[in-house]
Amino acid sequence: MSAPVDASADRDALCVLGKSPKDLRALAEARHLSLNDSEWAAIQGHFKLLKREPSLSEIETVAQTWSEHCKHKTFTSPIRYTEGRKTRLIKNLFEETIVAATTAAKKPWCLSVFKDNAGVVAFGKTWALAFKAETHNHPSALEPYGGAETGVGGVIRDVLGCGLGAKPVLNTDVFCFGRPDYKGALPEGAHHPARTLRGVVEGVRDYGNRMGIPTAGGAIWFDDDYRLNPLVFCGTVGLLPQWAVKKGVKAGDLIVAVGGRTGRDGLHGATFSSAVLGTDSPSSAVQIGHAIAEKRVLDALLRARDRRLYSSVTDCGAGGFSSAVGELAAHCGARVRLEAVPLKTSDLESWEIWLSESQERMVLAVPPKNLKALETVFAAEGCETAVIGEFTRSGRLEVLHHDRTVVDLDMKFLHNGLPRVSREAVWNPPPSAKPSGGAEMNIAHVLREAVAHLNVCSRERIIRQYDHEVQGGTIIKPLQGVRHDGPGDACVIWPYAATGDLEDFAGFSVAHGLNPDYGRLDPYAMAMACVDEALRNLTCVGADPSRAALLDNFCWASPEDPKQLGALVRAAEGCRDAAKGFSAPFISGKDSLYNQSKDEKGRPLQIPGTLLISALAPVPDIRKAVTMDFKGPGNALYLIGRTNDELGGSLYYKLLGRSGGTPPQVCPASALDGFKSLHSAILKGLVLSAHDLSEGGLAVTAAEMGFSGEFGCLLDLDEVPRDPRIYCNATLLFSESPSRILVEVKPDAESSFLRHFGKGAKSASVRRVGTTTANPVLKVVGLDGSSILEQSLRELKEGWQKTLPEALG
Amino acid sequence: MAVNTHLVEVRLRPEFADAEGASALGLLHGQGLSSLKEVRVSRLYELKGPISSNQVQQAAKDLLCDGVTQEYRILAPVQAPLNGMNFWRVEVWLKHTVTDPVGETVKTAIAEMGLPCPETVRCAQVYRLAGRCAKPQLERAVSKTVANPLIHRCIVSEAHP
Repeated sequence: MSAPVDASADRDALCVLGKSPKDLRALAEARHLSLNDSEWAAIQGHFKLLKREPSLSEIETVAQTWSEHCKHKTFTSPIRYTEGRKTRLIKNLFEETIVAATTAAKKPWCLSVFKDNAGVVAFGKTWALAFKAETHNHPSALEPYGGAETGVGGVIRDVLGCGLGAKPVLNTDVFCFGRPDYKGALPEGAHHPARTLRGVVEGVRDYGNRMGIPTAGGAIWFDDDYRLNPLVFCGTVGLLPQWAVKKGVKAGDLIVAVGGRTGRDGLHGATFSSAVLGTDSPSSAVQIGHAIAEKRVLDALLRARDRRLYSSVTDCGAGGFSSAVGELAAHCGARVRLEAVPLKTSDLESWEIWLSESQERMVLAVPPKNLKALETVFAAEGCETAVIGEFTRSGRLEVLHHDRTVVDLDMKFLHNGLPRVSREAVWNPPPSAKPSGGAEMNIAHVLREAVAHLNVCSRERIIRQYDHEVQGGTIIKPLQGVRHDGPGDACVIWPYAATGDLEDFAGFSVAHGLNPDYGRLDPYAMAMACVDEALRNLTCVGADPSRAALLDNFCWASPEDPKQLGALVRAAEGCRDAAKGFSAPFISGKDSLYNQSKDEKGRPLQIPGTLLISALAPVPDIRKAVTMDFKGPGNALYLIGRTNDELGGSLYYKLLGRSGGTPPQVCPASALDGFKSLHSAILKGLVLSAHDLSEGGLAVTAAEMGFSGEFGCLLDLDEVPRDPRIYCNATLLFSESPSRILVEVKPDAESSFLRHFGKGAKSASVRRVGTTTANPVLKVVGLDGSSILEQSLRELKEGWQKTLPEALG
Repeated sequence: MAVNTHLVEVRLRPEFADAEGASALGLLHGQGLSSLKEVRVSRLYELKGPISSNQVQQAAKDLLCDGVTQEYRILAPVQAPLNGMNFWRVEVWLKHTVTDPVGETVKTAIAEMGLPCPETVRCAQVYRLAGRCAKPQLERAVSKTVANPLIHRCIVSEAHP
């Protein structure tokens, strides 16, 4: 039994009982606590019953645990949602959308969803894949290099702390930035988007490369509304044996901290990332990562896992020990002695040791009999270990520092005491869906502008900085084509170095879907399109779309704005319907809210509501994987999927300066039929190349396939499967209707290829739309039979390649 | 042994092209310092602890410096002020509240060489600039390109060629 809490043990003990909401708000602001009035009231009520004041460490623990970052309050609290004239109550957005879709999918290969640090799916009979994508937006806005580095480090630790530990085999990175050539004013202290981009890329590069993990998947989106709030999504896939998926803490297990020492760095990361970014953001929330230290932890941890030396593990992320120990001990209890924690400097206060988010630390639950062996394993890697306490049956979180109790909290209060506050959400569709503004442009000119657009152009300058070959299993690489510089749809990884099995040719692929421009018109359509795009990309390289697992990452402005929350609800419902329609379960996800700042004139600048869908699926045979570049002249080009007049949010409208319109609408049933048929054709070796149609539509896709393979093509728009009401060549060339893939097939395989789109896929539209040619020119015949475009692919490629280097200077 | 402070600067030999320096030069030009002609980048290590000058020499030679492409020199802790506007030296240090992973690794590596373990090692990036500019302008440009005032402290001084 520990001594009663000595509130004076913390140098700055807090006095909260009897304080007014105004005083408490001031206190929260001064200490970066991110607690609202109702949460303060719950804290006051709890400690009133205990007849004592809370200690500073207790308040900090509660604030971290209850932060948006840790508890996802917006997604789990009741919402009164009004759409048009109808109002309904959503009790728990997360349960009713994301979880509901996964439950409905009933996939036995989902081994662990929503409960661990990452989602886990089966990979063959003995292995499993853990997948997680995290955001590190707020730190990256303040210090791009350190923010991105620690973002990568954090998500690697998530996977390392998933189950009993997974070996990271792939990193992904997706960014949203302001335009690097942004010329407008910025508020004092804000970094220019070009600097943010450079720093973030260097951070991802340095951490991933030094850890020996390939960075082979990703995307970048440019929009000036991200200039003050860049988005940095870091993802990791890890491989673990299926026996290591389950973990469980037992009372009596020792709490062992491994890895880096604890310092005054990274304080208030969780609460900081749960608030609006401003000039008073704490510099202590920013850190620099130490990849080599994490690599040591990784190697030692996996060795200890295989010797089954510990019963549970988690990473020290936001909230430091308070979150890590609090989560592990949620169903039992824990007693921690802070004096046992190895420190960087000796002058840390109790709450600082308890809350510090110093990087590269993990917490293990170790049966006492295994301690010596565990210490030996970690010592061999030069990795420090320290027993900082033990798990108990008390149901309490007890923290002592030199025999003084600084935290004594009931686990039930800590994890279930958060008051659920109802929020208002409103969604009103844009007043008119009719497109307006802008002037028609010559098709060749539009195509040149489209391939050179920042959201389409080559990312080679960035991709080349990442080591995507380390571990030797990157089968389909991020850059493809005869000169290894074309844009890939997705990477394919063969993790033989981790499985040690050179006879098993099963691999996996990871792809993404993201398009905030659709979300400006309708977040529901955006969510559907993002899921569709991610699955489409997977299918193009040979992954099995019926075995796809999804991650959601929502990045939004303040949910306290009913319009923002309304859009968020609509996006979440789009995720639900897409996941149900494609029968693709969500296995994990994360939300990052409050992505807004004040611009140079003090006006609020909100990011566009942004949803990243990351998809993971097995590739049954990596030897059958397909790249996107044309393979030769005289081959047939088939277009899978129907083209509709739905150019709202499209690149074409953006180039024309046109607004409004209908964003692309997904029909999951027919889309999935098409994807499955293509997958079976790829498995039979009937497909030479495949590339999805996204920004810029058919024209950009054909151009990219052509200049990557250095062959041309002739397209006949009259053959394009389409809505019969379309009479416009430009619509057929630049529409971004989802679920479409352009496929190259050898002439002698055409009938076999088409058989895959027979009985089982009645609703899939597939038509031969053209032929590849030896001359690297893109020729298009319009609906009236006349030639409407003849464009050198060499010129298009030059434009595609020079945009980003020029923008970065 | 007494606690000493040593400064070791490691830089590319002048005959090698300095890509990092060229990149920094481009960034500084972008901030309006168009009269700058060249930037060379080097690393500066501050070693504190019970380690002698000879031992620092050995660490610099065998650990910190790649003898093929780089050269090193031991600096005096306090350097004499210089006059002249054509050469500048910018040291970018991580603040003491920020973890210095390179410094930590060097500290461990020195101990693994069998030398006395320093108490602390900190590492800085040094930019040696050739070209005319005013100090306030340079300080402002540095804070917008190669240093972030949130985590770095910068020392801008006039320097030898």
